[in-house]
Formats: sequence, structure tokens, C-alpha cells
Amino acid sequence: MKLSSQQDFQAYAADARKNWDERFGGSRWIISVGVSECSKAKGVQDTLSNLELHLDNSGLDYEIRHVGCAGWCFAEPYIEVSPPDGPPIIYGNVVTDVVPELVQAFKNGQFPTENALGVRSESAFEGIQPLSEHPFMKGQRRLLMERSGVIDPESIEEYIARGGYSAFVRALTEMTPEEIVHEVKESNVRGRGGAGFPAGIKWESGRRTQAWPKYVVANSHEGEPNVFKDRRLIESDPHLVLEGIMIACVALETPHGYNYIGGEHVLALSRFQKAVDQAYELGLLGENVLGTGKSFHMRVRSGGGAYICGEGSALMYAIMGERGQPRTKPPRSVEEGVWRRPTVLNNTETYAAVPSIINNGGAWYADIGTDESKGTKLVTIQGPVKRIGVAEVEMGFSMRELIEEIYGGAKDGYTLKGIQMGGVSAGPLRMDQLDVGIDFESLDEVGAMLGSGGFVAFDESICAVDFARYLTRFNRYESCAKCTPCRLGNKALLEIVDKVRHGQSPADVAALIQGTSDNIIDLSLCGLGQVAPMPLLGMMKAFPEEFEAHFREGRCPQGQCTVSQPHIRLEPVAAD
Amino acid sequence: MAHSAPASADIDLEPLRAILNEHFNPENYQDSLELIVQACQEAQHIYGYVPKAATELIAEHLGVTTNRIYGLLTFYADFLTAPPGKHTMLLCHGAACYVGGSQKIVNYLDQQYDVDSGHTTRDGTLTVQYVNGCLGVCDLAPVAQLDHGPYYGHLTVESFEELLESLRNDDGSSEDSDETE
Ligand SMILES: Cc1cc2nc3c(=O)[nH]c(=O)nc-3n(C[C@H](O)[C@H](O)[C@H](O)COP(=O)(O)O)c2cc1C
Ligand code: SF4
Ligand code: FES
Repeated sequence: MKLSSQQDFQAYAADARKNWDERFGGSRWIISVGVSECSKAKGVQDTLSNLELHLDNSGLDYEIRHVGCAGWCFAEPYIEVSPPDGPPIIYGNVVTDVVPELVQAFKNGQFPTENALGVRSESAFEGIQPLSEHPFMKGQRRLLMERSGVIDPESIEEYIARGGYSAFVRALTEMTPEEIVHEVKESNVRGRGGAGFPAGIKWESGRRTQAWPKYVVANSHEGEPNVFKDRRLIESDPHLVLEGIMIACVALETPHGYNYIGGEHVLALSRFQKAVDQAYELGLLGENVLGTGKSFHMRVRSGGGAYICGEGSALMYAIMGERGQPRTKPPRSVEEGVWRRPTVLNNTETYAAVPSIINNGGAWYADIGTDESKGTKLVTIQGPVKRIGVAEVEMGFSMRELIEEIYGGAKDGYTLKGIQMGGVSAGPLRMDQLDVGIDFESLDEVGAMLGSGGFVAFDESICAVDFARYLTRFNRYESCAKCTPCRLGNKALLEIVDKVRHGQSPADVAALIQGTSDNIIDLSLCGLGQVAPMPLLGMMKAFPEEFEAHFREGRCPQGQCTVSQPHIRLEPVAAD
Repeated sequence: MAHSAPASADIDLEPLRAILNEHFNPENYQDSLELIVQACQEAQHIYGYVPKAATELIAEHLGVTTNRIYGLLTFYADFLTAPPGKHTMLLCHGAACYVGGSQKIVNYLDQQYDVDSGHTTRDGTLTVQYVNGCLGVCDLAPVAQLDHGPYYGHLTVESFEELLESLRNDDGSSEDSDETE
């Protein structure tokens, strides 16, 4: 079916809503199963086949549908059971062994409390708390993840049934490009890829540059070692990201949209491509969209295993079939980007915020968050905490609450030592420093960084020097080698840290590290080199006694470094 | 790399040719350039690596030089230009996996097998690629994905050793469990 006017779209949306209501209001049991990279890894395929088997045998009238991930990786595989009369209930950790008993209980009209995460309703049901009361959900505010785990990510109809594409259609048919940019500016949404540049200002510059064609590009590369939010969002709600990019195309008056997705994110790639195909089929992409005379096209591009390709200019070279190596700025990409044409580049999450800004207005969005950081932020946690997953919190939310409440604090048997912030680009916070808001300005102030929102919890067994070495090695390895300060400087830095780890600290080593770092920071060409030493410097600042023990006594208090394990050979530095 | 140059003569190029003909139809040179990486990804998907003959076919089909293609193949860590071992493994070395102990497995591979990222064990059982980013399943950290299929989570040097042993002994039939603890 191809929609050829705004009225067509409204009619389609009304039908989609009706289908949705009938489906969930009917006499059938609807079993929604979260299928995402994390649930696949945890055996959801087995859960699915076992569910089917037992439901068939139970004689219940049922339907199994797939949804995405609602962020609770710790509870995968999960299912959401919507009984014919009763609110939907979410069960976590539904591995195959759990299935028979669960299905048997449903058949008897019972709803076990074991494994239940919560019920989608205001009040408790059969002794199961509302989902919003679950400690993982309680502090969250979900704008971007509203549909994650609710809709089938491979169904454009379900996306539209839940309000999808209304913002695009509105932007296309009822707003001027200037008005769109105005709303985005007013919302003051800042880039979610790390640097926090206001998106509206970028879009305005892109409009101002007089050269055509123009390009709109989404950065879904996500090659950092510490974060997995963009791919999870795409896996769960690909149309939301697509709609955001399409609105930017309307604002820039260009038919050319791109999404660059890291080649490792296999499921995100295939789901996004599917979303694009469906949008073409429905006539939301293509020529003369909804009879407006305007065309919109979307290309999906990817690379593989090169962190640097997430850097703006490198990403554009990567799209152009060149090696992804950054160039000096200016010109900025809004002046000269893809194919040397004006290009607006934003992070996946930035685009995902746009539809709700168009629907509710920039002023509404600007009311959420803090003075300088608006809206919500997707965050992920790694490390030994109780609940690993993707959460969405209002900007300014307390870091301590995030770690201790939402993520449940340390796993049993672990004592947390700190949280590495801003991935490979900044230093950590010690556990006594967590009383800080999750927003650009608060974290900047304490010398940490919001970055992409991927936090790494590490416990007392982790040596700060070794962790710093790991982060330094990452940057050294991922350096594109174009400029000398980064290529050789990081190598030198890694060698110094390795000497420290082996109890062979050179004289005045702290000054040596600082001096080498200063050179790398000051002289490197791009953002990778310019922040590469920050994790090491940050670790030194946060855990000076530990570094001192290595420096002066040749001792690793954690017993992790080679210095305290003489039988272990030095890991080759040059080989990585 | 330790491999000798692959013999390209016995590569069946038809599957790749079919895909190129169906999905890779650039309208101009810019489009051609944009499509190189994806074409190589298709080749790697089919053959497990990107054989020389495949690069020549891609070059011819897109109207670009093999030189440019190799420039890209050697830039991205994901591409293999020599045949992998019987199995390939993505060993995650992202931050969650590091905190969980992946460095120990990396060290073990280095010390026991003299294997680094992209290398194959001498007996040809396993090609290991370290993932510097995050595999996205941190709840299982440290974790590895075998042959782009099953994941093995909560790895320790011991369980990794067992996994290697079972791969060495198995004749190609896959595991019935997708996770070892
Ligand atoms: C080394 C390096 C890697 C980067 N990787 C990413 C990435 O994976 N995703 C991303 O959105 N931005 C990444 N960035 C930031 C981008 O350069 C760019 O600022 C961002 O995509 C712009 O979008 P935003 O304004 O919406 O954040 C990276 C920057 C550097 C220096
Ligand atoms: S700073 Fe590093 S990554 Fe950036 S251009 Fe220079 S060598 Fe490449
Ligand atoms: S860091 Fe290894 S799966 Fe995320």
C-alpha cells in the first residue's frame, strides 16, 4: 500500500490504532517476547519454541508476537503476557525451564509472582506490583524508550498505531523548515554523541550554507567499549530514529538521509534496513511523499571495527569509501561534509528526541531536565551491578540513585570502587563522588564527562593502574595513525604505564606522564587524541595512593599488575 | 599475519556475483565508492574472509581499483583477508568484559597459543578477533560469540580452555547449549 496524501496517512493511522485496540481488547492471550541482541544471547530462541509448544498443548487461544528490548538486559529473556481480562504482566528470566510452569499457571488462571517484574497498570494485580514501582523503572522517565518493548520493531503499522510518523507528517505538511528548526532550537536539545553541541544551532548553520545537495547523517556507529544504547534503541524502535532523521531532511530541505551503523551491530543494521524498506513501501520515503512533491531517501551504510569512524569527519570519509581518518577543521561539516557538501551530523539518540519535540513543541521539551541540559538521557551500565541494562532518566538525575537504585548497586560479593565516566575520554568518579547530577554541566564541573552515557562500574579487585592501561591501550590501538602526537604519543604513554605495572617506573614518572599527556592533548588533530590521556590522568587523580604504590614501592595493592605476579610475562606492547 | 596467500582459484564467485548484480547497482562513481565496504562485507559473509578473487570481482563490478579495496580491508579490523580457521570467534574486550576479566583470556591466548587478534591457532581450529567495542550483551561479560551464532558468557580462563578443547574435538556439529558458565 502506498499513501499518497496526508488524509491517506491519517486514515491509515486510524486503522492501525483500531487494529491495535481490537487485538489487545480481544479474547486472546497475547504473549509478547523480547527479541533483541541481548535476549538472543541468552537463549530467547529456545524460550520461543518452548512457549509455542506449551501454549499449543494448553489449548489457550493465544498469539505470540515479537517486541524489542525494554532496557532490562538483566531480565532477558522476558515475556509480556496480556491475558484476555487483566492487565499485561511482565516476566523476566523466562528461560526454557520456566516456561512449562508459567503456561500451566496461566491455564489455571493464575499469575505467579515469581519472576514477575511488574504489571502494566496503576495498581497491583494478583500480588504483582505495578511495573512503574519496580526499582529499575521507578526513577526512569521514558520519552525515547516509550515504545521499546511495546511495539514490534519490525512493524511500521504498530509504530504508527502508537503515534509514530505523526511528527514527520506534521513537519512535512503543516510546518515550514524554519519553524521546524525553531522548535528544535527552542527545545535546546544537545547532541548525545558526546560533545553536547545544540542540535538546533547545527541545523540552522546547515540551512544557512548555500551549497547543494545537502546531507543529513545519523551517527549510529557506537564503537566505544563502554556503551550499547544506540543499537538497543534501533533494535527496539528503529522507526523512531528513522523518523527523526526524516524530520531533519525536511528541515534541511534535502532528500538525502543516511544512517551509518557500526558493522558489528548486526541486528540493529537489519532492523533499521527493514524499517527503511517499510517506509518506502508505505510511501513515507521515496518520490513525491504524500503528494507534497518532495522526495526523501535513506541510505544505510556501515563499516566494521574502527572506533575512529564515529568521529564526524572520519565517518564522512568512511561513507565516501575512503579510510575513515579525521581531517582538520574548519571547514566544519555543516559547510563541507559528505561529498564536500553541507552535512548535518547527529547522534542516533539526538534524532530520536526530535519526533516528540515536533509533536509537543520545543518549549515542552525545554521544561524537562536542567538549565543547560534538556530532556532525557539514555544511559547504560557495565560491570558488577545487580541490574545491567539501558535506562532513560531525566537530565540532572542523581548519579548515586542511578547506580544504587536503578541498577541496584553492587552485585552480591562485590564492593564497588568507582564508576568510569565518559568511556575512553575522561576519568572516573569514586564512590564518594557520586552525588552529582547526570547532565553535561554537572559532570564537566567535577572533571568527569557525560559522553555518550555509558558508565562502567568497577569493583575493589580492579587496579586503577591496570584499568587506566586498558583505556590507554584502547586509544592507542584505535588511533588512526594520521598524526604523530597521537600515533607516537599514545604509544609512549602506554609504554610508560607498562613500565609502572612492572615495577620499573622511570624517575619522576608522574611528571613524565603529565608532560607526555599534555603534548598529546595539545597537538593531536582530532577528538580521539585530544582526550586520549584523560582516562589515565583521571585515574591518577582519583586513586593517587594506588599509583604511588606502583611508582614508589613497585607494588600493586590489588595484586593485579605484573609487578606482583613475576611469573607472568609482559603483554607485548608493540603487538597491540 | 602468519597466513600464506590464499589460493583464489578454487573460490566459487557465483554467489557473490549474484548478490552484486541484484543489490549493488551504483548510478555513478560516488555510489560505487559508497558501496565498496558493503560489498566486501557480503564477500566476507559468504567466504568467511575476503578472497583476492572476490576483491577483483568487486573492483570490476563497481569500477574501482583493487588498491582502494585493500586500503579499506586493511583499515577495518573486522575484515579478514586470509581464510580463517575452522571456527571464528569474536572475543569481546569491551569495558564490561575487561572488568569481568577478559584481559586474562587475551593474555592466555597470547601465552599459550601465541595468538593475537585476527590470528588463527596453529592447528587451524580457531580464528579469534577481539572486539574493542562492546558486543552489546554485557550481562554475560566476559563473553564471546562463536561463528556469529551462540554466545559463551561469564568466561574464565578455565571455561575458555574447555571451550577450545571442545572445538578442537568436535567435527563441526554445534553445541546444544549456547552458554557455558
Ligand atoms: C574518536 C571519536 C569517536 C566518536 N564516536 C561517536 C559515535 O560512535 N557516535 C556518535 O554519535 N558520536 C561519536 N563521536 C562524536 C561525533 O564526532 C559527533 O560529535 C557527533 O556524532 C555529533 O552528533 P551530536 O551532536 O548529536 O552528538 C565521536 C567522536 C570522536 C572524536
Ligand atoms: S588524533 Fe589520533 S585518531 Fe585523530 S587524526 Fe590524529 S592519529 Fe588519527
Ligand atoms: S563489553 Fe563485552 S559485551 Fe559489552
